[in-house]
This record gives sequence, C-alpha cells and structure tokens, in this order.
Amino acid sequence: MQDDRSPRSDALAWVAGSDGPEKSLLNIGYLPLTDSASLIVAATQGFAQPYGLTLELHRQASWSALRDRLLNGELDAAQGLYGMVYGIHLGLGAQRTPMAVLMGLNQNGQSLNLSAAMQRAGVTDGKSLAQRAHQSGARLRFAQTFPTGTHAMWLNYWLAAQGVHPVRDVESVVVPPSLMVQHLEAGRIDGFCAGEPWGASAIEQDQGFTLTTSQSIWPDHPEKVLSTTAAFVDEYPNTARALIMAVLDASRFIDQSDENKRGTAQLISGEDYLDTPATTLLPRMLGNYDDGNGRIWQDSHPLRFHGGGQVNMPYLSDGMWFMTQFRRWGLLRDDPDYLAIASAVQRLDIYREAADALGIAVPAANLRSSTLTDGVVWDGTNPAAYAAGFALDSHNPSDLEQAP
Amino acid sequence: MRILLIDDTARKLGRLRDSLSEAGFEVLDETGMSIDLPARVQECKPDVVLIDSDSPGRDVMEQVCMITRDLPRPIVMFTDEHDSGIMRQAIQSGVSAYIVEGIQSARMRAILDVAMARFEADQKLRAELHEREQQLNERKRIERAKGLLMKMKNCSEEEAHTLMRRQAMSRQQKLSQVAEQIIAMSDMLGE
Repeated sequence: MQDDRSPRSDALAWVAGSDGPEKSLLNIGYLPLTDSASLIVAATQGFAQPYGLTLELHRQASWSALRDRLLNGELDAAQGLYGMVYGIHLGLGAQRTPMAVLMGLNQNGQSLNLSAAMQRAGVTDGKSLAQRAHQSGARLRFAQTFPTGTHAMWLNYWLAAQGVHPVRDVESVVVPPSLMVQHLEAGRIDGFCAGEPWGASAIEQDQGFTLTTSQSIWPDHPEKVLSTTAAFVDEYPNTARALIMAVLDASRFIDQSDENKRGTAQLISGEDYLDTPATTLLPRMLGNYDDGNGRIWQDSHPLRFHGGGQVNMPYLSDGMWFMTQFRRWGLLRDDPDYLAIASAVQRLDIYREAADALGIAVPAANLRSSTLTDGVVWDGTNPAAYAAGFALDSHNPSDLEQAP
Repeated sequence: MRILLIDDTARKLGRLRDSLSEAGFEVLDETGMSIDLPARVQECKPDVVLIDSDSPGRDVMEQVCMITRDLPRPIVMFTDEHDSGIMRQAIQSGVSAYIVEGIQSARMRAILDVAMARFEADQKLRAELHEREQQLNERKRIERAKGLLMKMKNCSEEEAHTLMRRQAMSRQQKLSQVAEQIIAMSDMLGE
C-alpha cells in the first residue's frame, strides 16, 4: 500500500534506516495567526507520520512565551518571527542563544490598518498620514507585535518611506495581535501592523480599514519561519530534516488549489487553533482584498505558503535584511558580520536535503534581489552600505528612550 | 524591594500578593491594560516585575526591556546564567520575572520561590505528551482506515486519503481522529 503521488516511498525507506529521526515526538509552538496554517495542517492532517514524526501543537499567548519555551526545551521547534529569531541570536532583549531558521513558512499577508476615526478625518493614504503625523498636538500611536518583530520593521519601513520618522514622529507600542481590534475600538491606538486575520477582523467589526498591505511594501517578503535552536539541529539533524519535509509537504498541499485553501481555512478556524470564523480568514487567503475604504482587488502577491519552494527557501539575504533594519533603527549599535551570521542561522544545508528529497526546486543562488516600496533595491550584496543608506534612520540610542 | 505584580489573565493572583506582602515585600498591582505597562513601569519604578508566563502582556514587557537598555537601571528578563534551572522551573510553573539589573539572584530566588508555590503548576503541557507507542499506532491506524475505506467505497488509496483528509479538515479534526471513527464504524458493522 504505497502512496505514489510523492517520493514518499523513498522517504519511508530512510525513516526505518539510520537516517531516521532521532526523536519522534516534537512539541511545536505557534501563535493563532493565518500564517500558522502550514504547521497546523502538517501536524493534524497526517503529513508528519510518513517521515516518522508526530507533531504536537502548542498555541502560545505571546511571542515571549514561545521564545522562552523554545529556549528552555519545552518546545522543540516553533513558528518564529524573522526578527525575533535574529534578536535572540544576537542577544537583543534575550539571553544570546545560537538559533536556526529551518525554512520560510509564508510570504506576504500582513497589513497596516488605521482606525475608523482616522478614516473619518480623511487620513486614508501615505500623504495624508504624513501630514497628520507632522502636525503639532498628540503624537499618533501605532501598535506592532514585538520590538524586534517583522511587524515593527514593516511599520517602520513604510512610515519612513512616507517621510514619517517611526521613532521621533509617532509613538510605537507593542500590543498582542488578538487585542489590536479592541484597542483600536477604545481609541488607545490610531493604527496597527499585524498578521491576519486581525486586519480583516477590524474591517468586519467596522473599527478600521487597511491602509496598506505588507506585500505592497515588499512584494513576496519573508514573514514567519520555522525556527529552533542551533543546539537542537546539532543534536537531532535527521529530525530537523524530517520536520522540514513534513512542513514542506503541507505547504505544497495548501498552495495546490483554492479547494485546499478553503479546507485549510475551515480547519484553522477551529477553536483549538485560531478560533476565528473561516469566513473572516478565507478571502485574504485567496487574495481577495477589501480595504474597508471602498477599494476591492485581487492581490497579485497574496499570502502564500509554498510557491514552488520560493517561499520556503531560507535565503541568506532574507535573514540579513532584518539585521540591516536593526542597525538602521539603532537596535544594533555596530554593523554585525551580516553574511557570517546569516550563514550560521539559515540552515540551507538541511533545507536543501529536505527539498531535494521531495523534488522541490532549490534556487542556485543564496541571495535574491527585491525592490521595496521606496524604490530601493535589496540584493544582500552590501548590507552595511544598505543599512546606512536610508534618509531616515535612528543611530542615536536616545531615540529609543523616547519611544514609549 | 518593590514588586509590580501584573494581573491580566484569569489566574487568581490574590494569594500571591498576600504571600509576597507577608514576606516583607512592597507589592503594587497592575490590573489595567497591558498597553499602559511601559508608562506604569516608568512611573512606579519597580525592582521586580512578575507576570503570568501566559499573559499576552509578555510581549509588552519585552519592549520595556528594550527601551531601558540605555538607562542606568535597565530592566532585564531574569536569566541569570547560574540560575537557568530556577528560571526554567519558574516558566514551567507559570511565572515570568523581569528584574532591575543589580538585584542579587539570592533575593530574586526568594521571590520566585513564593511565586512558584502560588502559581498553579502548568500540568497541561505535560499531560499532552503522548507515549511513543501511541504515536507509532497513529500511522498504523491511518493506514488501516484507508484500507477499510478503499474496500467500502471501492476506491483507490489516493481517493480514500483525500476523502479522509477532507472530512478531517471540515470537522477541524486530526486525520488520526477520522481514522479512529472509520475503524470504530467498521468494527460496529462487523467488517
């Protein structure tokens, strides 16, 4: 009884042999976000068993809790914010611990949303926002999800591209994603940057609108990753590879058809996972956007989990980008050895083995080139010059103190 | 020594507050919204912040740590290298501690001992760990259910697999649960 659709028969051969996973039960942490779909599908829909693994999912209330449990071994691997993984590796706000990015989990699909009050005041685009931010009076207050997280970086990048200094001109606060809409409604924040379903949810509850999507800041930007500690990979290399294979399989399954995306939305909407109606999750998973301000479109770079492997490849340039932004905004006081650090964290070696075994194309280049919303090209070749080359930055530590 | 006790989850912290007070600590309660934490910490200048490990407000505390990095008394997560054991124990029992740099780890340990005794031990994670035997059976059950379904529906293995997965996803269940149901049904029908 072999399953002939994928190279699983080969995979099964090594599961039984000396290449088999050293550890068969893995505890996997995640936050309730649409981005978690491939982990939930992999763990619950029989994608891990063919590789000799059972994945136990553990929903976490915060990124801090997820990080602590990953570092103390309660979790074997977890969904990670790119910036958080590098923050831990560099010792920013956490005990410095060598980390590993096993693969990318998704691209695109985050959004910057403003309150209904801002909408009524006519602040509905970058220009009007910049005007409002530079007026005297109360500073605008924006929420993101973690100090070193991706959402803080998308928010900063976009604001700076509009000429708004994200540290001096506005106030940036951390709010857990699931409380964003509540804070927007209470008028405690003027806007937020977070993953879905929270943007769609704000619109559904008439509390705000989507000002911009993360994919319009950087088309096909890296977002969540599958992360663990370097120590875990050293001790359980076969397990790490088997885990990548299981999640790659699940990612490919989700992106295969709209029908599979519908099934995925239905699954992850359950109370054990996101506990949000599938009808809220599905439209943006399918790229059907409604910004809540009269604009409806089919997005050309919607949330995706696989993209023929493009999404999952842990490009060195993706990892380095987050370090350039840490440098730009003063979280790093000096330029780190960008390439050496990214080469240590991004586990291209194991990813390549896993992808090869599944017949998934692995790009020959470890760097990729992208043009971001301000027209600046990022290709990973000169990170220090890139980090220093922005008109707006924050190399003064006192900027940080002003933040709250 | 001043302790800020953040109470923003369903866990009952009332007794912890009393215990800490009895042990001679000054305890301040924070029951407001976590968004106000940075301001609250600046205002009452605690030596120690205790927070439920599962509080969503944890990420706000990370921002506080980041902001105070350049201040004379930075607030850091309690991760004294010599005490990684007690830290791990604390997180597992459900309490996380942030301290002002310079507080002696012996004094910190006294606080954590009180806190850990009062927090409900988080048994859930451990209870969820299945036996290895059970996991191995999971895969066998899925294969068995697939075989039963192929016979019942007279369909290919791939079709049986797709049917089971569709059922599992629409019911927000694990594939192994659906397999279990097929096997139970088949047993009942005397297959």
